[in-house]
Amino acid sequence: MDIDDLLQELDDNKVPGGTRDINDLTQSWIAERTAPEILPFQTALLERLMERIRQQIEFVETQTGNLDPKTNFCLILIQTELERVKFLVRSYLRARIHKIDKYSIYILTTPSIRGRLSPPELSYLKSHLGLLNSHFLASFLRRFPEQLRRLDDKAGGISMVEEPDLDSAVFCKVVKDIEDNIARIPGTDAEFRLTKGDVYVVRYSAVREFVLRGEVELI
Amino acid sequence: MYGDLGLKLVQHAKRTQSLPKLPPYQSDIVRSVTREVRDLDRDVTEILEPFNGHFDPAEEPATACSLLVRHLCMRRNKRCLLAYHRARAEMIEGMCWSGSDLPEQAQASQNNMAEEGAGIALAEGSGVSSLSPEEEEYARQYEDLLAAYKGQWTDIDLTGSLEPPRDLFIDVRVLKDAGEIQTEYGAITLTKNSQFFVRQGDVERLIAQGFLQKLN
Repeated sequence: MDIDDLLQELDDNKVPGGTRDINDLTQSWIAERTAPEILPFQTALLERLMERIRQQIEFVETQTGNLDPKTNFCLILIQTELERVKFLVRSYLRARIHKIDKYSIYILTTPSIRGRLSPPELSYLKSHLGLLNSHFLASFLRRFPEQLRRLDDKAGGISMVEEPDLDSAVFCKVVKDIEDNIARIPGTDAEFRLTKGDVYVVRYSAVREFVLRGEVELI
Repeated sequence: MYGDLGLKLVQHAKRTQSLPKLPPYQSDIVRSVTREVRDLDRDVTEILEPFNGHFDPAEEPATACSLLVRHLCMRRNKRCLLAYHRARAEMIEGMCWSGSDLPEQAQASQNNMAEEGAGIALAEGSGVSSLSPEEEEYARQYEDLLAAYKGQWTDIDLTGSLEPPRDLFIDVRVLKDAGEIQTEYGAITLTKNSQFFVRQGDVERLIAQGFLQKLN
């Protein structure tokens, strides 16, 4: 541990909780938008943020009648900030919904991935799948022979279930010192060392574990 | 030829993705493709009948081959149908998210303005729905589902703009009369061709619906 580490630690502690939450949200948002698969839902973070958003909205509402120019200016700053945070949350949730819609059967049938959804997301996924299923059935599948009505056929070597392409390329940055820092690229014998501060363009599958542990950030 | 119609459906689906509006549902083609699948299935049953369930592909390669082709055709047709319906369903979902009037809603609002409430009845012209009855049903249900999910995030407005906000207040021009709206700075009457400096959050919906235009 040298002076840089100490300074770093100091910085980490000095950042107030609210700012850290916003930074975390921004990071989760970027990760969710760049990762090919759906990432764990940030339940606690979102709860804290939603609570704060509620407080700010309330504050704005109580202060609106105020004609003091100083408060008025403050309010505009708060509202601008609010709009920005709301945009981040909205975009984060929409990015997730997009993946949920796209890989619905895969998510539902893979328990480890399924656990990454929040309860409302899971119920959305289930009802949406149900809707699609009954829509397809009503439109044409009901007139099909019995054995052809399923939506998750694997016959003929082609699976009907769409899965995320974990081998797609991502940009990532190593943000922590990692003990076991050898990343292997699946399917090849290529290896590389992850050192803090490094930036890579690699297949997502090579750094997946590190991303989920928060040691590597997607950028 | 077997498979031709399936291809046509896929081409329709592909074309649909780049169109601003949903083109009419190809119920004739869908029906024909479905019939093709049923015919193929009947063929398979007929071919297999004399074997009484003891069919050995190695003994009769010719029969095995024709069975395989028929099976593949059925699967292909199924995929084509699914692709077509999925592409359209996605368009319908997109319309639900963006809050634009679904063609069937426009129709409904012509018939029954009171039920639609809100008074935003856009006359879509044609009067003939481009959605199949099943799709209309799907759209309705999806809208309910979306509303339910949105309800969990009331402070966020999930269907809001996905453009990062730049300014709190924006200039807008009114393209169509939209009546009076309430903002925290009082009520504004939106009459055609007038211009306002308003809070973006207050008018986002109206911009999406085409009542207002954002000015740079």
